Amino acid sequence: MASFAARSFVAVLRKDLLLEVRGGQSTVALGALSLLVLVVLVFAFNPAGGERGAAAAAGALWVALVFSGMLGATRAVSGESENGCIRALLMSPLDRAALYAAKLAAAFIFMAVAEAASIILMVLFFNLEFDLRVMRLAPAVMLGALGFAALATLLAGISSRLRGGDLVLPLLAVPMFVPALIAGVKASAAALAGAPLGEFAVWLKVLVAFDVLFVAAGYLLFEYVAGEE
Amino acid sequence: MENLSYLFVAYAIIFAVIFGYVIFIWRRQAVLEAELRAMEARMRALEEGAGPPQPAARPGS
Amino acid sequence: MSGRGIRLWLGLVTLALMLAALYMIFVYVPTEAEQGIVQRIFYFHVPCALVAFVAFALVAIAGVFYLWLGQQVWDDLGYAAAETGMVFCTLVLVTGSIWAKPIWGAWWTWDSRLTTTLILWLLYGGYLMLRAMAGDSEQGARFGAVVGIVAALDVPIVIVSVRLWRTIHPAVLVTRQGGHGLEDPRMVATLLVSLAAFTTLFIWILCLRFATLRMHTRLGALARSLALAEAAAQDS
Repeated sequence: MASFAARSFVAVLRKDLLLEVRGGQSTVALGALSLLVLVVLVFAFNPAGGERGAAAAAGALWVALVFSGMLGATRAVSGESENGCIRALLMSPLDRAALYAAKLAAAFIFMAVAEAASIILMVLFFNLEFDLRVMRLAPAVMLGALGFAALATLLAGISSRLRGGDLVLPLLAVPMFVPALIAGVKASAAALAGAPLGEFAVWLKVLVAFDVLFVAAGYLLFEYVAGEE
Repeated sequence: MENLSYLFVAYAIIFAVIFGYVIFIWRRQAVLEAELRAMEARMRALEEGAGPPQPAARPGS
Repeated sequence: MSGRGIRLWLGLVTLALMLAALYMIFVYVPTEAEQGIVQRIFYFHVPCALVAFVAFALVAIAGVFYLWLGQQVWDDLGYAAAETGMVFCTLVLVTGSIWAKPIWGAWWTWDSRLTTTLILWLLYGGYLMLRAMAGDSEQGARFGAVVGIVAALDVPIVIVSVRLWRTIHPAVLVTRQGGHGLEDPRMVATLLVSLAAFTTLFIWILCLRFATLRMHTRLGALARSLALAEAAAQDS
């Protein structure tokens, strides 16, 4: 049974990634959105560099993450319902939890690519240096992307089935993401300011707790979201 | 007795909001009761086998 | 109508307790030395906060039971609790803000409790928005249950992260959070009576709203069966 779930997980994820490689525009759109968010925030903050610049850059990076995450999860989940594929997927003997895991993985991969792009853009726009500090961002940003993907995939399952649901997704996802957002911004600012890992480890713990909680919640509850029509 | 107005405004808002909400619930309840009576009338009409059936009304939440 | 009788009694008890609480707050209790008369807001502010917390916990509990048993009663209870909790949560924010202006000199500060309450308000605002959009359908009930559970799971981690954020952040106004210095036993008594008044008020409002939702559900079922019966009568 476990092997069947694992195989269906791989099959759905493979399908999503293949679709993306063969001309899906999710990662391109996510990257472009991140770029726009960063540009707007550079206009707003007019960063001077230095410690304040690092804090502004960390904030901008996480705003970009939230926006791209919302788009990524919507693409991963509602792409299926647009053409009725979700019905076929739900009628198949496929385990709902495996479907959730595959969608979560797809959303996470799209987000991770977009995040890598926005970290590079952030360094350029906010006049930072490509050094070890930027590498230290990686754990916080990846944990944040995983948490947001977990949350947004579950909620996109809801919003994609409601008329006007695209309005509901940010209204639900952003307040729920607040703990991870606080932890992520603080950890990123500390990393960019050159603080040793020990100083922001507590924030990484909060992020890990958030991820564990929301991956588990999504895994268990997706069944009810993607239930019968 | 400074800041008395703050105290007054705070309590006024509390009671305004609570009364407003209770009145909102009561009005909704009254609407539903009216619907229930309308439906009972239709039920009687149906049992008597006479009277034109009216279109089904959707209750307002 | 025993339900109606219970609601009537609850309403009367609430009224009596509320009058007692008001008498104690405005006549009986001594004015707090440091904060002056505005401190009396606290006697209604704290019960509102506690009641809102209980209501939101109830949303999650009802959500679990709804997903488990699939009975509409649980969804009606959860929806009623969310709406009632939202009313009290709004009151917490508004009265807290009014209290903060003369005491802290600002309507709003990003104190950990204020921030947490605001996030709670946003979370359940999202829940109510979702319910309004989903309409009265089985699907909307299911989605509401899921969101209610996820939101409740979120609350502890929100509290932890916001507290960490405020302690690491330079503290601006964290001294004298308000109301911990209830030296006078009359203050404690007043707070307890207010708590009792708000507990019965909450139960009363919850019962009213719950009864309305129950009736709405029954009417929906009745309307469907009636429409079917009328169609059958027309055919014959």
